Amino acid sequence: MTDAVVAIDNLSIDYVVGAGRFRAVSEVTLEVPRGHVVGIVGETGCGKSTLAQAIPRLLPEPPATIGGGRILFEGTDLVQIPRWKMPAIRGTGINMIFQEPLNSLNPAFRIYDQVAEAVRIRKLRESGAVAVRRNEPPGPFDYSRRPNPTASDAWSGKIVPGGAVQEAVHRREVDRRAGGDRAALEKDVLDYLRLVRINDPETILNLYPHELSGGMRQRIMIAMALSEKPSLLIADEPTSALDVTIQAQVLTLMKELIEEVNTSILFISHDLGVIAETADELGVMYAGKLVEFGPVGDVFSSPRHPYTKALLRAAPTRYKSDGPLTSIPGNVPNLSHPPSGCRFHPRCPIARPVCKVDPSPPLLAVEGAAANHRSACHFAKEVPGIP
Amino acid sequence: MSGPTSSGSPRPPPTASAGRRTWNAVVGFMRVLRANPLTMAGFIIVCLIGVVALIVVVAPHLLTPYGPDQLTTDYNLAPSWQHPAGTDGIGLDIYSETLYALPLDLAIAFAIAGAAMIGGGGLGLVAGFWDRPGTAGGWVSIVVLRITDIFLAFPSLILALAIAVSLGRGVWQLIVAILLTWWPFYVRLVRGETLAVKHLPYVMAARAAGVTEGRIVLRHVLRNVLEPVVVYFTLDVGTVLVTLSTIGFVGLGLVYPSQAEWGSMMSYYQNAGLITAQPWTVLGPGVAIFVTVLAFSLLGDGLRDILDPRSRRVLAGTGTGSSATHEEPPVPVAEDQGELPTATEAPASG
Repeated sequence: MTDAVVAIDNLSIDYVVGAGRFRAVSEVTLEVPRGHVVGIVGETGCGKSTLAQAIPRLLPEPPATIGGGRILFEGTDLVQIPRWKMPAIRGTGINMIFQEPLNSLNPAFRIYDQVAEAVRIRKLRESGAVAVRRNEPPGPFDYSRRPNPTASDAWSGKIVPGGAVQEAVHRREVDRRAGGDRAALEKDVLDYLRLVRINDPETILNLYPHELSGGMRQRIMIAMALSEKPSLLIADEPTSALDVTIQAQVLTLMKELIEEVNTSILFISHDLGVIAETADELGVMYAGKLVEFGPVGDVFSSPRHPYTKALLRAAPTRYKSDGPLTSIPGNVPNLSHPPSGCRFHPRCPIARPVCKVDPSPPLLAVEGAAANHRSACHFAKEVPGIP
Repeated sequence: MSGPTSSGSPRPPPTASAGRRTWNAVVGFMRVLRANPLTMAGFIIVCLIGVVALIVVVAPHLLTPYGPDQLTTDYNLAPSWQHPAGTDGIGLDIYSETLYALPLDLAIAFAIAGAAMIGGGGLGLVAGFWDRPGTAGGWVSIVVLRITDIFLAFPSLILALAIAVSLGRGVWQLIVAILLTWWPFYVRLVRGETLAVKHLPYVMAARAAGVTEGRIVLRHVLRNVLEPVVVYFTLDVGTVLVTLSTIGFVGLGLVYPSQAEWGSMMSYYQNAGLITAQPWTVLGPGVAIFVTVLAFSLLGDGLRDILDPRSRRVLAGTGTGSSATHEEPPVPVAEDQGELPTATEAPASG
């Protein structure tokens, strides 16, 4: 696919813990097409959250290190660019919603202050006041609408080279230029709160996070993320901590919002139902590897990797009445000593001797399946035949 | 702005004028105080002390019948209406002298605690937030912490005494001597709090929203670290005062009677052998130290409630009603949105 918001290419992420070093994500290749929702499922510890946090470079490094590969965001390799440039990409470029809605809002500030901060960041960047350094071509992360600043601008102090102090100094000037006076900012904040279907946003503005429920807080997190109009929104289990009823509300909301704000979403979850509800494409991770990727309907109806098949069978389904739930025999492998060959072979019902020796093949198109349905199994053709 | 907020709710809209917001903050503050009698007592005494200190500086004759260093012909008198705390052997009025010492003692205590909080706290914030080993910040952090350790390894009072001896006697010498032993506590406190706060999800969320590191420190981390630090500071003013008096008492502080300071006063009268013969000479400054330190301790204990938005809202919201409502847990949670206006109006009307 050519028009991908983010293309992850052969990405590996290692954790260095004490003297040990283990690979939490190994050689994952994944694309999020523009305007699509890509889901990632997998068991706890399979590396999906690590992958999610690595894309906007939010992983604490160390202990994490990027062991290889590229993260191409709008054509820029995020692995290569210096750390101090990352804040300019986060927020308006890549935004993230976290698993813990209860703690993701700062307890000391009112809702208004928090949403306004996000709106402000976007306005600041749209106004072009936070310019990238002079003599540097504007990257895809430069949200400048102005022409490149000239030398006289720099001389007269009109542009702000990157940096928190200057940014703060010029904030007031920028607020004025971007029409960001208090009333306009408040109107924007109210609009975004209404967008996430919060009734009576005028009251909510003045509340502190602890006065809101989990569902409300998660909606506010979503409002904050959307108010920056990111090209890519990474949702790391956004509904796991919520009640089922609230989950449904939040999911419906997110689906509606994708169309309203025109963003792409990478949706991480361990809940197959949630993924089926939300995603267009689905990636399945096992022990740090992406084992299957394809359109969500195809993956659910005819999985082409034994792990996916086992995972689907282990999920409770409302209408299924064929006896007790099956679990996958064995345990998730210890990533400091991953199994040789295919990482799933000790638990795989169709494993052959070759699976022990030969590392699992890269994601390859499966014969007889949809064109973009790929699986990392030597015997993908046989998977539908597993009882 | 329309909606339920405008009808009797104590909360101003975010666009309300600065004056209105400040007024609401003051009202909330008073309600918390009312719910907490000991803090109230501490607050009132601290306010009184402040007013008295101000009057002594601006118009001393309103409170003190005798000027500083004004020698009377009444020697060695016990407390009487004319001399509320008695007089000493050279005819100084103890009550007046004690009051004259108040602004100086307070100023020194606040200067030391304040400078230690800002300096030590700033170092602690930096050392706590940028502590990743191997980076420049990590090295700065290590250096700051090892220096802190060295200072903390000395008994602080003895170190302060040693520095005071080497610097000589005087106000600035005294401030420097105590300050040099005082800042490491704030480094430790703020660093510890910063380490705890910086790993919380909201810091990560702010980072994901594109907030720069500097702003995360100054806005998100600092605000959440502030609460224990301000409480500690308030308690610390009392502790500094005690240390200050101790240094004065052992004869290394200011020189009394040329400069009135409580510890030096006690030292002077003790050396003059008056502590048993004329105990009122020591009683004046002694009571002054006791009351001041106690007031700051009481205030500091309750300050946490005022600074924490969670307890502030609960206490402030129920402060006007009967005491029974104080027991209610802080859960005005709005799950179904329709409930929200009632949930938030309830505390206001109660």
